[in-house]
Amino acid sequence: MGGKKTMTLNLTEPEMKVLEELSLKKDLSKTAVIRQALRLYQLVDVRLTEGGKLFIESADKNEKAELMVL
Amino acid sequence: MNGDISKVWLVDKKTGGLVEASLYDGITEAHLKDVEKSWMPKLRSELQRLRATGRPHPQSSHWNWRDKVEHMRGLLAYRGFAVVHEGHTQGLMLVKTTHPCRLPIQRGKPLVYVDYLETAPWNQRELVMQPQFGGIGLVMLAAAITLSREEGFAGRIGLHSLPQAVKFYENCGMTNLGSDPSKQGLPYFEMTPEQVAAFLEK
Repeated sequence: MGGKKTMTLNLTEPEMKVLEELSLKKDLSKTAVIRQALRLYQLVDVRLTEGGKLFIESADKNEKAELMVL
Repeated sequence: MNGDISKVWLVDKKTGGLVEASLYDGITEAHLKDVEKSWMPKLRSELQRLRATGRPHPQSSHWNWRDKVEHMRGLLAYRGFAVVHEGHTQGLMLVKTTHPCRLPIQRGKPLVYVDYLETAPWNQRELVMQPQFGGIGLVMLAAAITLSREEGFAGRIGLHSLPQAVKFYENCGMTNLGSDPSKQGLPYFEMTPEQVAAFLEK
């Protein structure tokens, strides 16, 4: 692994709650959840910048909506 | 790309002995140039020979590694690996770290997804009568497992197998979840942390 840098992350109570829930659900440390989120955000951002679109389809496949990402 | 290099072992198919090789955490320009200078001419000549004999060609023979590496350049979600021995690239692998598991017992948890894995043409049984080096697939799977553990994914890995490689992944102890219509019907395989432990003990 490449060298790692440490930073302090300030989260609100609800944000920390979500982080803890995701950490439990995904069987990941909180750091690993943040790193996964960063990877996904970058991947989506690059593909959208290239002109791609991101869609979410409902489980029954009856609805499909474009997901707008900042 | 992290640029780490670690020592691995391949099987010299002529002698049956082990030979030392280097596993690169990252696919460099040198690896890609080697693919273009060494892999492609060998691949072309062997494919010509196979066509003449009517034998099936390797299903990865159309892969363009430069395009694949360019596509993932700078993206944190992808990682590349290369195995080098005797100054030549013996195998390449691209993995993705943003895939969820599909097996019911670990569904939704993250795994390292092996997007592409290929050995040099002179190491492929489908191409040459006497492959030069073996064990590259095992080295690459072990690298994917190590990455999965480093990332906190407990060693979980997954991949879609080309039909010619199905037996190999089954022999590695992976679970075959069957044909995946979203991936041209290719069979999807997954390895649980327990299967990883058994694989590494072999």
